[in-house]
Amino acid sequence: MTLWRLELLRLVRTRRLVALLAVYAFFGLTGPLTARYLGRILGAIGTEGVQVQFPEPTPADGITQFVGNASQIGLLVVVLVSASALAFDARREMAVFLRTRVAGVRSIVLPAYAINVAGAVAGLLLGSACAWYETAILLGAPPAGAMLAGIAYGSVSLAFAVALVAFMAALVRSVLAAAGSALAVLLLTGILGSAARVGTWLPTGLLGALGELTAGRAPGDYLPGLAVTLILIVLALAGAVRLGDRREL
Amino acid sequence: MIVETSALTKRYAAHAALDGVDLAVPAGSVYGLVGPNGAGKTTLLGILAGLRRPTSGSVRLEVARDRVATLPDTPQFDPWLTGREVVSLAARLAPSTPAGKVDEVLAEAGLAEASDRRAGGYSRGMLQRLGLAATMVGEPSLLLLDEPASALDPAGRREVLDLIARLRGRATVVFSSHILADVQEACDRIGILRDGRLLFQGSLDQLLVGRATPSVELRLRSGGDQAAALLRRQDWVTSVRPAGAALIVGVRTMDEAEARMAGVLAESSARVISVGPREAELEDVFLELTS
Repeated sequence: MTLWRLELLRLVRTRRLVALLAVYAFFGLTGPLTARYLGRILGAIGTEGVQVQFPEPTPADGITQFVGNASQIGLLVVVLVSASALAFDARREMAVFLRTRVAGVRSIVLPAYAINVAGAVAGLLLGSACAWYETAILLGAPPAGAMLAGIAYGSVSLAFAVALVAFMAALVRSVLAAAGSALAVLLLTGILGSAARVGTWLPTGLLGALGELTAGRAPGDYLPGLAVTLILIVLALAGAVRLGDRREL
Repeated sequence: MIVETSALTKRYAAHAALDGVDLAVPAGSVYGLVGPNGAGKTTLLGILAGLRRPTSGSVRLEVARDRVATLPDTPQFDPWLTGREVVSLAARLAPSTPAGKVDEVLAEAGLAEASDRRAGGYSRGMLQRLGLAATMVGEPSLLLLDEPASALDPAGRREVLDLIARLRGRATVVFSSHILADVQEACDRIGILRDGRLLFQGSLDQLLVGRATPSVELRLRSGGDQAAALLRRQDWVTSVRPAGAALIVGVRTMDEAEARMAGVLAESSARVISVGPREAELEDVFLELTS
């Protein structure tokens, strides 16, 4: 039994991995379906005498619908799941067991971080695969290159979200406080990105890249955001380790 | 000394949780840290374990940090791990664990049969024993046990005290407790803490000899109230308190008690079963020191 296996068991036995996979798969299956039939559904329930014309949905609409849902509910689940692993000081007795057996919190943070990122990316991959398949069936195949680039950008964005949770868990003790503060920062980052039109420079912008890339945006537009996000991931993890080592129990 | 602290102080704002503690724990000893709630026992163990930093003073451990194992007062583990997985993880994180040690400590803790059950279904006593098994599996040189038996029923306490007794000679144990009988039974050295200050440390004999007020234990079949009232009026009697079916009579000197006790009892209508000197117990000394 190692700390890596401990974190893997935490995801599997607590069914948190199932929750991650299920959420992304659900939106992967329902997103393109919604895009395909939204016009008809709204038309069917529309006011008599009023005719609403919807453009014919494109493959990009199917993927964008998936990304829109997954980047909110999916991200919420990722943050909650990773906070439950990374806020390891929330219960003192459990923290004493781990902290008195390792030379520094790095040994605890890194496996918890890596396994939770892997779980989140597995969810994104499954959801994207579902969305890709269903979009191809219902609306036509989205461009493969754009899909792969978008999934890669989205994965890096999720890695940032988990790193942010690790950092917040080193600032506050409880699971809910760590998750809540991380979500608040992510929300503010998203608002900042939209308001200042610097979304492609921010980690939250990468999360929506999948939808925009399938709509025709150039993958290179997100490279500045990729660089910023990678730097922020390193800073957040370094901060989590540094603050965690200084914290008293 | 395997553990030595010098003028160790820990402050939380204006409150001194520890105030100039000079602890000295000989290698191989079972050291009992005694004190009322809030005396600073957990803080002191936390500093020794490296979980807290002292405000001032120093700590010297004659053992590598990874040879120190710590058990909190109410050990908790991820409920979805089995007992064996908890101990296996502790074994893996220890610097070196002999092959077969996991099964050995699980058996020693009486958890062999329950080892494949999840810790979430363990009773409190089983969790405490699981904690001890996880603490012992790496064969640490120094064990820091915070109130290891305080919250257990008598059977659980007995099991934990037996486990600690078996550690004697294999490792140095520092354990805190407010149950004096446990300390008196398990420890060969004692430190008494109150309000963050170490009031005494030494062997149990050093602590008991000459410290507690001499006292006499009276066992009476009847007339206890009248005898107690009469005794309280004697100038050579310092205290009278009931202890179960007996009366504990504190006296200025045993000479005065031997010369005058019989007369007082004869004057009362008490029916006497026995009269005898009472040896000082840790509880007497503890109350004397901490009151």
